Amino acid sequence: MMTKKPPPADAPEIASVAPTRRHLIAALGTAGSIAAFGVKPTTASAADCTPDQESDGTLDSQPFFGKRQSGVVTPQPAAATVAAFDVLADDRAGLEKMLRILTSRISGLTKAGPAPVLDPKLPPAESGLLGPQLYPDNLTVTVSVGASLFDDRFGIAAQKPKRLVTMERFSNDALDPKFCHGDLLLQICSNTAETNIHALRDLIKNMPDLIALRWKLDGFLPPHTIKRAGKDTVRNLLGFKDGTANLDGRDDALMDRVVWVQSNSDEPAWAAGGSYQVVRIIRNLVERWDRTPLAEQQRIIGRDKMSGAPLGMDAEHDIPDYARDPKGDRTPLDAHIRLANPRTRETDASLILRRPYNFSRGISASGQLDMGLLFVCFQSDLNAGFLTVQKRLNNEPLEEYIKPTGGGYFFVLPGVPDESAFLGQGLLGA
Amino acid sequence: MWSIAFALRTRRARPVAAISAAAFAALSLSSQGFVQAFAATDASAPIAITITSKGCEPNAVTLPAGKTIFKIKNGSARVLEWEILDGVMVVEERENIIPGFVQTLTATLKPGQYQMTCGLLSNPKGTLTVTATGTTAASAEPSASDLAGPLAEYKVYVTKEVGDLVTKTRAFTDAVKAGKLQEAQNLYAPARQHYERIEPMAELFSDLDKSMDARADDFEKKEDDPAFGGFHRIEKALFAEKNTAGMEPVADKLMQDVQELQSRIGVLVIPPNKMVGGAASLIEEVAATKISGEEDRYSDTDLWDFQANVDGAQRIFNLLRPLITPRNPELDDRVQANFTKVDGLLARYRGADGQFQNYDKLSPRDRNALKGAITALAEDLSKLRGTLALD
Repeated sequence: MMTKKPPPADAPEIASVAPTRRHLIAALGTAGSIAAFGVKPTTASAADCTPDQESDGTLDSQPFFGKRQSGVVTPQPAAATVAAFDVLADDRAGLEKMLRILTSRISGLTKAGPAPVLDPKLPPAESGLLGPQLYPDNLTVTVSVGASLFDDRFGIAAQKPKRLVTMERFSNDALDPKFCHGDLLLQICSNTAETNIHALRDLIKNMPDLIALRWKLDGFLPPHTIKRAGKDTVRNLLGFKDGTANLDGRDDALMDRVVWVQSNSDEPAWAAGGSYQVVRIIRNLVERWDRTPLAEQQRIIGRDKMSGAPLGMDAEHDIPDYARDPKGDRTPLDAHIRLANPRTRETDASLILRRPYNFSRGISASGQLDMGLLFVCFQSDLNAGFLTVQKRLNNEPLEEYIKPTGGGYFFVLPGVPDESAFLGQGLLGA
Repeated sequence: MWSIAFALRTRRARPVAAISAAAFAALSLSSQGFVQAFAATDASAPIAITITSKGCEPNAVTLPAGKTIFKIKNGSARVLEWEILDGVMVVEERENIIPGFVQTLTATLKPGQYQMTCGLLSNPKGTLTVTATGTTAASAEPSASDLAGPLAEYKVYVTKEVGDLVTKTRAFTDAVKAGKLQEAQNLYAPARQHYERIEPMAELFSDLDKSMDARADDFEKKEDDPAFGGFHRIEKALFAEKNTAGMEPVADKLMQDVQELQSRIGVLVIPPNKMVGGAASLIEEVAATKISGEEDRYSDTDLWDFQANVDGAQRIFNLLRPLITPRNPELDDRVQANFTKVDGLLARYRGADGQFQNYDKLSPRDRNALKGAITALAEDLSKLRGTLALD
């Protein structure tokens, strides 16, 4: 086990935190510490509790230390930035240095404390976006790595997760190489875009010689809907409820089965507690969609647009009985929800945990809106999960209205158990 | 209560599960086929039915064909489901209606005699008599025979365009293979226009469309991607590289695809909603990829494609006008005005020889004027299917 090293000189540690809180986090399991810190869980029963009227959410926090990283099964806050990087480190030592800095910065950024004050003749230590008192604001920075990290630079080729590959084009994709892949992916989520930007700028500033930004995309979710999580479902930019049938991140047994790589799997030993992460930038052709008859929109998706109920059913959470609809009279056989989750025993193995955000950025060359879904999902087996689901979705009628343009496949590193450890320690065998 | 409801369902499940594949095919036709859609009328006042422990009240209902809203109240003490049956087939149903609750069901029914279940299996079934509406008002949905004429004419149009596409693509690919650069350049846009006019029909065969008309943007390695083929790969060779070297297999594949398209379209029964929706699809093509000039980026021949898409949409619209005008004269006026505007703007860039100037000759002001008219057309043409009650 490594002993804690002082942070590198060029990476001043920002906030210090009360040891009691830190030790409490370390002492509790992931799920326990979420509850302990008053992060509002999404259960109907918990939502019935009296909310903290005092809190504006800035002091909400997610644990950094734990068996697994936060930002995977933890509830989605309103804002996200997904940033992919090329790793510039020359060798294994450089890679380790990067991972150690990442560990120390993220653990600091996710806590409250005073912003560092430097001699005003120097540039300030950080952006100042959050003011003199830094606050966690529900921040998580989830670190994952791409297949390209396992090339010949760092001597870790043998440690590559077995199913980690470079994303390949599906038939409806128009991939923009400037928005694809990466050695390293940071998924930064918090209550506000500013907190994400604060974290991103801090991370970039502290290791400019080790990582270079490759692409990034910001995502958002409606804050009012998220507050009602469990009672309400976010709508995507096609206007449909998206996530009704998503898995419950609080179901530990289900997450162990679907999301987290287990120690008895065929993956390298270090990968236990990690997860395969898929990111897809899916443009929605919203002008055309808005000019499509409602009935056709609903047939394409398979749900009633307003209520979210599966076609022919009454309520959003009704479970469609496809066995009784073998010809697709109610829910067309190629409806999105039916292809994505056919709800058969055989397709149960292709379950994934989705964690998508909406995005909106600029306009196309033809002057149409460039917006859509920043799709993110997690699974313990990339082949059995996303790749199997996407193969079923290929050539679905929805493709006329969506265009995947970027993203990549990554592997979420296992969590950092305590301050003596660092992200990717097991991977480096350190 | 739940166990009773479950028992009811499982007991009934047997006859339903025993329905033959043929019966399912019939069900599928009746609920999705366009014949049914034409018979539909607008939803009128909801029909309220209360189910008591003894049966349905009322137990016999007569209603016009088309869309009907049923409000089903469970006045019994048990959870129940309510079904509309056509013989043994379940046409529509609501499950798990809790005692004291009302559930709404919207059904579109063809004329005929139906039964409704009324709680316990031992209760008598109710009857639903659906009568033909027989309305002939201009606002009513067109009949299948109203659309038969436009559909037949459109099939003739599509067939002729595909025939011309085959002829001109052969000349084009022959020139490419013979290394006749200038001749091939001249034949490129005139051949494509026949494809662009009927693009919504070609897109019914997405494998061919992707193989013939994909742009470099569709591939991660863009122009260097080995999968990049079809018209635009040859366009790049002719206009950017100015060299036909290596294009022989690409030309052969394109010719094969064009012939395959012709044989598939030869046996295609054009679905009415695809024809009517095709007008909007063509204009959406213009709005998404022609306005920018990204479609024919090497040859700058976008105006050919632009005009061909507009021609194809206008042909569909004109064939349908006799059905549209009486139902929505304002829509007809707006669409005509915008087609005229677009044609007028495009004509400015067309010489006496019928040749279009390069797309970069378009002034920013004309581009914006086209964009406005095209977007307005897209909005209006998106209403065609609904105007003709085609789902």
